[in-house]
Amino acid sequence: MHILHRVFNMKKYILLWLQVTGQLTQIAFASRLGVVLFTLGKIIRFVSFIIFLFILISQTKSLAGYSFWQVMMFFLTFNFIDIIAQFLWRDVYRFRSYIVSGSFDMTLTKPISPLLRSLFGGSDVLDLITLFPLIAFMIYAVGQLGRVTFVEVLLYVVLLLNGLLIAMSLHIFVLSLGIVTTEVDNAIWFFRELTQLGRIPLKVYPNPISFTFTFILPVAALITIPTEALLGVISVRGVIIAVVFSTVLLGLSLKAWRGALKKYASASS
Amino acid sequence: MKKYWQITKNTWDETLTYRTSFIVYRLRELLQLVATYFLWLFVVPAHGSFLGYTQAMMLTYVIGSAFVSDIVFSSRTSAIAGEINEGVLNNFLVRPLSYLRYYFARDLGDKAMNVTFSLIELSLIVIIFHIPFYLQHNLVTILLFFITTFLAMVLNFFISVLISLIGFWSNEGWGPRFIFYSVIGFLSGGMFPLDILPRPIFTIFQLLPFSSLSYFPVKIYLGQFDGVFLLRGEVTLVVWIAIMYVVTMKVWNKGLHAYTAQGI
Repeated sequence: MHILHRVFNMKKYILLWLQVTGQLTQIAFASRLGVVLFTLGKIIRFVSFIIFLFILISQTKSLAGYSFWQVMMFFLTFNFIDIIAQFLWRDVYRFRSYIVSGSFDMTLTKPISPLLRSLFGGSDVLDLITLFPLIAFMIYAVGQLGRVTFVEVLLYVVLLLNGLLIAMSLHIFVLSLGIVTTEVDNAIWFFRELTQLGRIPLKVYPNPISFTFTFILPVAALITIPTEALLGVISVRGVIIAVVFSTVLLGLSLKAWRGALKKYASASS
Repeated sequence: MKKYWQITKNTWDETLTYRTSFIVYRLRELLQLVATYFLWLFVVPAHGSFLGYTQAMMLTYVIGSAFVSDIVFSSRTSAIAGEINEGVLNNFLVRPLSYLRYYFARDLGDKAMNVTFSLIELSLIVIIFHIPFYLQHNLVTILLFFITTFLAMVLNFFISVLISLIGFWSNEGWGPRFIFYSVIGFLSGGMFPLDILPRPIFTIFQLLPFSSLSYFPVKIYLGQFDGVFLLRGEVTLVVWIAIMYVVTMKVWNKGLHAYTAQGI
């Protein structure tokens, strides 16, 4: 009975997500020029960094021992995590306005989880436009790496999913911070700047910095460790770090969310 | 003049009011700088050079570029499009002040705050990481650097205002702005010195207004210029300011005729 209830609940949330995402897609495509410019901007940013990497590595022949295509895999993995995170948790970017305007009260009164509503409350389909070409490019880049085994690809996919769990936990932290301080915009951008550090191999950074990005901030667990799995240079320690990070961060973020909800005073409404 | 000075001071106070927001913003900027700095530290050999740059020169370029970006790019003008769309512009049109000068004064307040923090952060970074920072001693070069940076700031102001003025005809002013921010890091030389690019691309980039915003002022600070480079760079900068000023004023006047205060 309990399982049936959970399945029903899951179906309810998926239907709700599809409904809201459908409506947001219609809104997004109402301004077609915006869609074109947004996509163009993303492509320009993507291509310009590749040019930068190309210039760099054409002179040095390798970066921290990685070839051009291996470094590209770090950059592509960063883009994959970044796009998926923006697509799935785009409503987090709007969360501040819900708190400031008091409309978060409406979320609390509805028979749905306020956390799931705030996290998945409508995805931005514009983010998906660049995802499919990116995946195609990733497949091409993997082809350029040379011999990649099935186990390496499998471990890469599993660690990518683990990375997305970390990204979700960080978004929950941002939501919690939003309730307590109304500070969301810079916090979410801080998260994005943080992930950008993983665009290149962490070996580039000297030890105190790379230690921080590996053991204190989850940059390695998000991007570096999954990519290393694909390149066949991962250690057991790397896998443990990634799993510990996702487990601990998920637990702490849920705790932070519950604590923040208790502090919510509905002051704006 | 006094009222615009008051606006500048108000913007400074406003930034201090939202301290958390500003500090997190500065942390983001710092993260970007740390990433770029260590990448170049790794790539450029300590006792050699990379595409004509010694390690000291490249690291000074990175630090200098971050400082110039804080002066040139920090701006409040992105809010203009929203004010036009929502009809808030009405409040300014009935007041005895120039809307564009009002925003220039706001920009100065915003920049003053950013530059203050930037100077503290960069000094700390140079001291903590023992950066072989190239200190320019030539007073004329330093004066030229500040004049050029000021001109770059004026150019960026007109470009940014022009993008926002799209708000007179469309609610999608964010689109061109997003493109602007997407290209600016690359084209202005914020990521790397533009002269490491292949010569034909570098020549084209030099003719665009963007290279004047970061690359050109930092090259002056480094003292890596001759008479021809300086003259060509300053002329390009002034010509682009003149073009952007004329276009911005024309678009502003046309926009005011098209303005219907529909957001009210």
